[in-house]
Amino acid sequence: MARVRTTWAAMAALLTVMGCRGNRSNEPPVHLQQNMDFQERGEAQERNDFFADGRVMRPPVPGTIAVGYLKEDDHLWRGRLPNGALADELPAGIELSAALLDRGQERYNIYCQPCHGETGHGNGPATRRGGGFAVAPANFHQQKFLPVTLGYFFDVASNGKGSMKGYKAQIPVEDRWAIAAWVRTLQVTGEASVDELPEQAQNQRPRRIQ
Amino acid sequence: MPAIFPRWTNNIPIAIGLLAPLVGAGLIFVVWYWFSPSYTDVGYRPEQPVPYSHKLHAGDMGIDCRYCHNTVERAAHAAIPPTQTCMNCHEQVKTESLRLRKVRESYKTGEPIEWVRVHQLPDYAYFNHSPHVAAGVGCATCHGRVDKMEVVEMDQPLSMGWCLDCHRNPEPNLRPLDQVTNMNWDPTQEAYDPKRDPARKRQVNPPLHCSGCHR
Ligand code: HEC
Ligand code: HEC
Ligand code: HEC
Ligand code: HEC
Ligand code: HEC
Ligand code: HEC
Repeated sequence: MARVRTTWAAMAALLTVMGCRGNRSNEPPVHLQQNMDFQERGEAQERNDFFADGRVMRPPVPGTIAVGYLKEDDHLWRGRLPNGALADELPAGIELSAALLDRGQERYNIYCQPCHGETGHGNGPATRRGGGFAVAPANFHQQKFLPVTLGYFFDVASNGKGSMKGYKAQIPVEDRWAIAAWVRTLQVTGEASVDELPEQAQNQRPRRIQ
Repeated sequence: MPAIFPRWTNNIPIAIGLLAPLVGAGLIFVVWYWFSPSYTDVGYRPEQPVPYSHKLHAGDMGIDCRYCHNTVERAAHAAIPPTQTCMNCHEQVKTESLRLRKVRESYKTGEPIEWVRVHQLPDYAYFNHSPHVAAGVGCATCHGRVDKMEVVEMDQPLSMGWCLDCHRNPEPNLRPLDQVTNMNWDPTQEAYDPKRDPARKRQVNPPLHCSGCHR
């Protein structure tokens, strides 16, 4: 009889130790049957000691260019006109439309809003915590930003400026133009009265704001 | 001649008849409950090299998932952000914090931070984020309320049965295409009918055939 009781006790103890589904643990999951779970192949962002730098994802060989990425269109890729000045128009192939502004707003809220704020006043949620930013993000409604060209916003979004880093690695080029258009929209709808804007910007005012 | 088997042995067949189903059911229960990925995988939360908190960054500050996991809409893999992404802000805030020491070191040396992988399908199963995000399946459906996690943990089993449960009947798990990363959008609260959403160009059609996921 005692043995039966010990068996029951042992089983009960085992079940308790095994715990329930969803228990938190920092031990890797145990899979008895591993089959082909881990195959000899590289996956994105994995480590691989075959390469000197340990990266599976190989960077392009220096001096090579992927097909379609010659980036010879200065206006599209760098926001510059043939004379080297920053352009104030959208590059050919990107039309100002409600869809472009919607896209710009969405992308702005992902990539710029944490610092510059939803309205572009430079007071995004990340600047209000942990002691604040050493250099505050720019307020796009400041007088000095009203006359700048569209290409300037594109250029800063791509390459950064001062203590802000560039976002060309994260954001595809079309989306950076959409963001630039949205920043301009914020300026128009913001504190600035329309007459203060340069002529170019007045012409580029999106239809739904007029 | 005395009987070879004592009288009590007559009870053996009855005992077996009664106990065997119980033991069998017990074994089935044990395998069903404890061998399932719902037990072995869910709740896995490895300790990370840097005490990065999604609750702080994605929850309290409301940074969109795509700020860091920026490839998720375009690629199969949702990229874990490089150190540069952290330094966008951490060159400016908490520049002296000890908890960020490894981040600053990594930025200086160019050695990546070795984040521990949380979710991992077996290599024979094919998963791709971009069609799911494009179809309006929210991050929260598969990863849980990441915005409430100090440490990321597995919220769903990622088993084949789990994938198929949704693939057989995806509609209840779909949401408007612009709410994919919104953690507060609750499918049980909102009346949303994907069939009547003008933003959807086509109805979703998730694969049920084996080669859809085992290619
Ligand atoms: C990590 C925080 C952060 C994010 C995200 C961010 N910025 Fe900035 N931005 C800054 C800071 C800080 C400055 C001020 C830089 C300085 O003056 O040194 C700045 C300045 C600027 C300026 C003015 C540059 C000048 O001439 O002084 C523009 C334009 C700008 N940002 C555009 C953008 C756009 C567009 C995005 C989204 C793609 C963006 N920023 C995202 C932090 C950020
Ligand atoms: C500020 C950058 C940042 C933001 C914003 C962010 N993440 Fe992350 N995420 C990370 C980093 C860094 C890791 C790797 C370390 C870890 O697992 O905690 C990670 C890991 C993860 C993982 C686990 C990956 C694995 O190893 O399996 C998931 C899932 C995830 N994030 C989902 C989300 C979701 C959903 C959101 C939006 C609510 C989000 N993240 C927002 C930086 C970010
Ligand atoms: C958009 C800006 C932003 C980005 C990007 C960002 N952080 Fe932060 N992080 C902050 C702010 C602001 C705080 C301070 C919050 C507070 O103390 O209230 C913080 C705090 C932290 C802390 C806690 C520091 C302490 O001493 O309490 C850690 C750790 C951290 N971040 C890690 C990371 C990592 C790792 C990444 C990159 C994946 C990252 N952060 C990306 C803005 C950012
Ligand atoms: C349909 C379910 C599903 C949805 C929706 C989903 N994920 Fe995932 N996620 C997974 C699975 C499955 C994995 C493991 C992939 C693997 O091991 O190859 C994963 C892995 C990840 C990882 C680790 C890196 C990787 O790709 O392996 C990150 C980060 C991540 N997801 C973030 C996100 C974010 C952010 C969103 C929302 C935009 C999201 N996920 C939406 C199922 C999903
Ligand atoms: C919450 C719902 C949901 C879950 C969970 C889910 N899926 Fe899907 N999946 C979908 C939907 C919806 C589509 C259809 C997309 C379309 O037709 O545009 C899809 C499509 C796919 C496709 C086809 C993609 C292509 O390139 O055509 C694959 C492969 C796939 N899922 C794999 C998986 C795997 C593997 C898992 C489990 C780890 C999983 N899915 C979990 C909803 C889900
Ligand atoms: C929606 C995607 C999907 C479809 C469709 C699918 N599978 Fe799977 N399958 C998976 C995933 C994900 C796993 C890995 C599950 C895990 O990690 O436990 C898996 C695992 C398996 C395994 C390995 C089980 C083990 O533990 O060793 C087999 C065998 C298998 N699938 C066969 C099939 C067959 C046969 C079909 C067609 C009837 C099929 N699968 C269709 C996603 C799928």
